[in-house]
Amino acid sequence: MREEQNQLSANNDINMVDLNQHPADSNPELSEGTDNVNKNDNSKGSRAPPPHPPPKQLDPSERYRKGITLGQGTYGTVYKAFDIVTNKTVAVKKIHLGNAKEGVNVTALREIKLLKELSHPNIIQLIDAYPHKQNLHIVFEFMESDLETVIKDRNIVLSPADIKSYMQMTLKGLAVCHKKWILHRDMKPNNLLIASDGQLKLGDFGLARLFGSPNRRFTHQVFALWYRAPELLFGSKNYGPVVDIWAAGCIFAELLLRRPFLQGTGDLDQIGKVFAAFGTPRQSQWPEVGTLPDFVEFQFVPAPPLRSLFPMASEDALDLLSKMFTLDPKNRISAQQALEHRYFSSVPAPTRPDLLPKPSRVDSANPSRPPQLASPGGPVVLSPSKARRVMLFPNNLAGILSKQVSQSASGGTPIEFDMPTHKLREVYPPRSRITESGKKHLKRKTMDMSAALDECAREQESESNLDPDPQHSAKKEKHT
Amino acid sequence: MAANFWTSSHCKELLDAEKVGIVHPLDKEHGLTQEDVKIIKIHMSNYIRTLSQSVKVRQRVVATAITYFRRVYTRKGFTEYDPQLVAPTCLYLASKAEESTVQAKLVIFYMKRYTKHRYEIKDMLEMEMKLLEALDYYLVIYHPYHPLIQLLQDANLAELKVTAWSLVNDTYRTDLILTYAPYMIALACIYFACIVMEKDAHTWFEELRVDMNEIKNISMEIVDYYDNYRSIPEEKINSALNKLPQRF
Repeated sequence: MREEQNQLSANNDINMVDLNQHPADSNPELSEGTDNVNKNDNSKGSRAPPPHPPPKQLDPSERYRKGITLGQGTYGTVYKAFDIVTNKTVAVKKIHLGNAKEGVNVTALREIKLLKELSHPNIIQLIDAYPHKQNLHIVFEFMESDLETVIKDRNIVLSPADIKSYMQMTLKGLAVCHKKWILHRDMKPNNLLIASDGQLKLGDFGLARLFGSPNRRFTHQVFALWYRAPELLFGSKNYGPVVDIWAAGCIFAELLLRRPFLQGTGDLDQIGKVFAAFGTPRQSQWPEVGTLPDFVEFQFVPAPPLRSLFPMASEDALDLLSKMFTLDPKNRISAQQALEHRYFSSVPAPTRPDLLPKPSRVDSANPSRPPQLASPGGPVVLSPSKARRVMLFPNNLAGILSKQVSQSASGGTPIEFDMPTHKLREVYPPRSRITESGKKHLKRKTMDMSAALDECAREQESESNLDPDPQHSAKKEKHT
Repeated sequence: MAANFWTSSHCKELLDAEKVGIVHPLDKEHGLTQEDVKIIKIHMSNYIRTLSQSVKVRQRVVATAITYFRRVYTRKGFTEYDPQLVAPTCLYLASKAEESTVQAKLVIFYMKRYTKHRYEIKDMLEMEMKLLEALDYYLVIYHPYHPLIQLLQDANLAELKVTAWSLVNDTYRTDLILTYAPYMIALACIYFACIVMEKDAHTWFEELRVDMNEIKNISMEIVDYYDNYRSIPEEKINSALNKLPQRF
């Protein structure tokens, strides 16, 4: 895999040697994006060489009029703000430095560094960055909502065309990242933001990083647990862009099911859930799995037909899903290949972004993030397919349904009702268990755990793969 | 790093050679000449390299730090931002940007060991913010190392690796990284190494269809460094540095 990539980049570089043969980019969308940046740059670019930078018309702290607080992150506060130059609403992330001993937060720096390189309709736009009162402020375009809100909004029915549209935008954004050798590493519905014009944009590049330099080892502690690819769960340290594809597959599944697809409670449980859904890989299916650092042997479970997990999905959707969920990362589909999959060219055509359903605004004063209806552990959100099935008995079940919605919305305890739970059991086969030898191996592993952890910490320090990231663990907790 | 240079900010930020060497008006007022500026840049690049050996970072980080340093001073004067603080701060910022973070206190510790300057962590973190602004938050830098290896492989000239590699190292004592695409610098270093090691790679270069004039210009710049600045007498460095406002 790695070698392949290097080979690829080698070819690229050699092609690049010939300037004439290499236009900036053949992708019209991309070059359009680059143009944007150039436009932005012209004002600034002229500033660079001349001796005295012309005084900025407006101090950034004046230019962006602060509004309400949108949220508190681990490393800063996000405000809604109004850009008085462009008359646009923006989001300003204020990075607290305060008494920080290590200056600008690495996560924030990573986000700035990578977003400065990316410009695409399906990636959040970094508008500006400026220091003010010893705090670093990052200005992003303002995003109305996110995909998690859409998925959880029970008033929204997602048609197959809508789902196709969301997936296409997600994969377009990913393809651009991967083309620029950037791994996102934190794909989940919550980080797929939705603009007022319906465009879906990849957000939160706080865990993202460049890849492609050989022999670099990365941390496998990335992604929220439910979106983690099997190679990461087994501790792989030299993984590639297809980890993002696995997560995109999970998002695809979540759009179809209207609930997170593989909800593990820990690393091992997560692997169990993965194998229960896709079968324990045979040697021929994933030859290298045994060589991964945290490999644990699981009892063989055959894969249930994918159709049984996604009863309402089209043939094309299932085929693409199965390619995104290929266990062996070497055989998993790439973002570009996925975009070329017949799923996206077959009927129905993806819905135009501006026609996609919008989440209901629960609080008009705070339209950015409607309160989340269901907690992760809470009641199962009904999929459209189930809703349709429910419609067969409109008299009794629909009533229960609406009751349940109102109950959970007010935070009440979820009530079990017959059909979905038993359906669920049908859908979910018993998950595969760890074998005896696997258990022994695991025991040895846990005994070495503290030593390994120390070593890992040292390793990270010396190789500095990624700083121990408080934000990440916070994210993990949110989902585990 | 293998990534798409053509769509990168590094590519867009490339400058004309004439614009890089100019002396900032504020520096001119202090009597700094083009020669002084060149000497300070070489001296500070060497200083960043020395510091990096103590704090132990990868070569990439050093290269990025020197690039930041040189880029900052195409926009700012030496009299505005004290190079003695900017140099270690560039190293610190580069270590973060290249995912090999070193602790601020470590950089400051070695800085105090090598110089008489009494800057503290607070000063460096303040400067970090100023540098980010001066760099316009563009932090991704491409280096000739990666294309060098690939080009050598393609040309079947693996035996030139050591020579060409150290030539690339020395290009960071010039402003070449700000003015030329990294692969061109790599090619020039291979070209140079071919001459030094008496290898014939004419046909390979011809097949590449690159602008040989550009390669010649880069090579000339490297030759100029070897001829005139390889070892700069102490008093020359001091006389240049003494023109800067004394902060301590």
